Amino acid sequence: MLSLILAFYNYSPLNPKPPFVGLQNFINLWSDQVFHKSFFNTLKFVAIAVSANLVLAVLIAVSINSIAKKFFKNFFRTLYFLPTIAPLVAVSLIWATMFDPNYGVVNMVLGLFGKHTMIYWLTSDRLALLSVVIVTLWADLGYNIVILMAGLDSIPKMFYEAARIDGANRFHTFWEITLPLLTRTLLFVSVMTVISYFQVFTQVQVMTNGGPDYSSEVLAFTIYKDAFRFMKMGYASAISVILLGVIMVVSVLQLKLGKADWEY
Amino acid sequence: MKEEKSNGWLTIMLCIGAVIVIFPFLWTVLSAFKTPYEIIKIPPSFFPARLYWGGFQKVLFEAPFLLWMVNSLLVAVTTTVITMFTSALAGYIYAKFDFPGKRLSFLAILATLMVPFEVILISTYMVADKLGLLNSLAGLIVPAMVSAFGIFLCKQFIEAIPSDLVESGRVDGASELRIFFQIIVPEIRPVLSALAIFTFMGSWNNYLWPLVAINDMEKMTVPLALYYFNTAHVAQYNVVMAAATLIMIPVIIVYLIFQRQFIEGLAMTGIK
Repeated sequence: MLSLILAFYNYSPLNPKPPFVGLQNFINLWSDQVFHKSFFNTLKFVAIAVSANLVLAVLIAVSINSIAKKFFKNFFRTLYFLPTIAPLVAVSLIWATMFDPNYGVVNMVLGLFGKHTMIYWLTSDRLALLSVVIVTLWADLGYNIVILMAGLDSIPKMFYEAARIDGANRFHTFWEITLPLLTRTLLFVSVMTVISYFQVFTQVQVMTNGGPDYSSEVLAFTIYKDAFRFMKMGYASAISVILLGVIMVVSVLQLKLGKADWEY
Repeated sequence: MKEEKSNGWLTIMLCIGAVIVIFPFLWTVLSAFKTPYEIIKIPPSFFPARLYWGGFQKVLFEAPFLLWMVNSLLVAVTTTVITMFTSALAGYIYAKFDFPGKRLSFLAILATLMVPFEVILISTYMVADKLGLLNSLAGLIVPAMVSAFGIFLCKQFIEAIPSDLVESGRVDGASELRIFFQIIVPEIRPVLSALAIFTFMGSWNNYLWPLVAINDMEKMTVPLALYYFNTAHVAQYNVVMAAATLIMIPVIIVYLIFQRQFIEGLAMTGIK
């Protein structure tokens, strides 16, 4: 609530009596190039990362679930969940060294496959945001895999038996039975993932600092930077309000679309 | 026959994925043992030429690393215990009592679930400032004492407990608090332990709030310490990697011991 009010003030901790500026903060945002970049980068990040996350998580969850031996099933599930346990700061730092163009291991491995070019993962404006996406997926996929596996377990086995009797192949079974019956879990997972990816912060702050040329600047990082580096708390609050608004709209849309899908 | 084959393909893909999952951990530990020279060698080596302990020495003896560990532990344990208590108690009240404004206030709690922390970061900061909580460990604990998700979760599970059980306690003349501790809490133990695991991990790994709330070196928590090493030892990646190793090893050991509870808890509650 306080951030809603703050958005209308020119608040700064350096100034004991904040002047009321009305909508001025929002008007300034309208013509703020950094905010524009940050806003669209966030949308881009969420769109790419969430869709990649869902596709990969479903594929991996279905693959792990198809393993017959219980021991190996548990083994893979435990393993794929492991990165979610590690502190995100550590993960970001580790990947930052792995992405280093000179002595990073990512370019070294790519070199083994014959692509011996220097790739500037974190310092080229085309790849910085993509690198953040890669790290986020590595660090975060385990959650959705586990939740989707639980969803897969709750699909009654008789559907699969019926499909086998009808002679459906693997692909068909997946497309006609698994996916439709997984919609509920998928909807839950995608809403949660969208909300959490709109908040991406640590990876950006540690790995790229929003750069180069604001190409990996995202809203959460802009809020932090404006509020705690530039001490423009009112302005940063206005960005918070917009971030909240976007999340609300996207979540409601998702729930609406998901429902329409579910009912027919 | 055909089915066997496609199963094999899936397994191969899973194994490749597993290598990608494991690799950064391996890289961290191996890098931690490299000398400052070897770690910036071009082209990079994978295995250290010899085991070099200097990185670990720097972490442990040139910085108050153990103090940071203690800080993190203190904050995480306190937060977890208090959150479990407030969630269970509020969940009990919402599940089994009627009072004016119940629906409205519960809706308000649910609504805060949608609000990301970044949005309330500035207002939390200002409130903490007014309360004199900034730059103290209490400042890390107080804002995390109540969890909307915990309350929601506990309410769902307590609602499933038959009200007769609560009634019989009352008939026997037990006080409300006694009913809470002796009937409700044991019944919801699985959900409480899941909540505990995730609250603890969340607190241990929390980064953004300590970053803005803590200034003093001796009050930092482990994630901040890692960032400190990275900025203080620029290009001394072996030191950073040694710190990262030391931070991750306890968490991973705990995970491997309790992995069933982790995974079942997550599947049960959807905590993220």
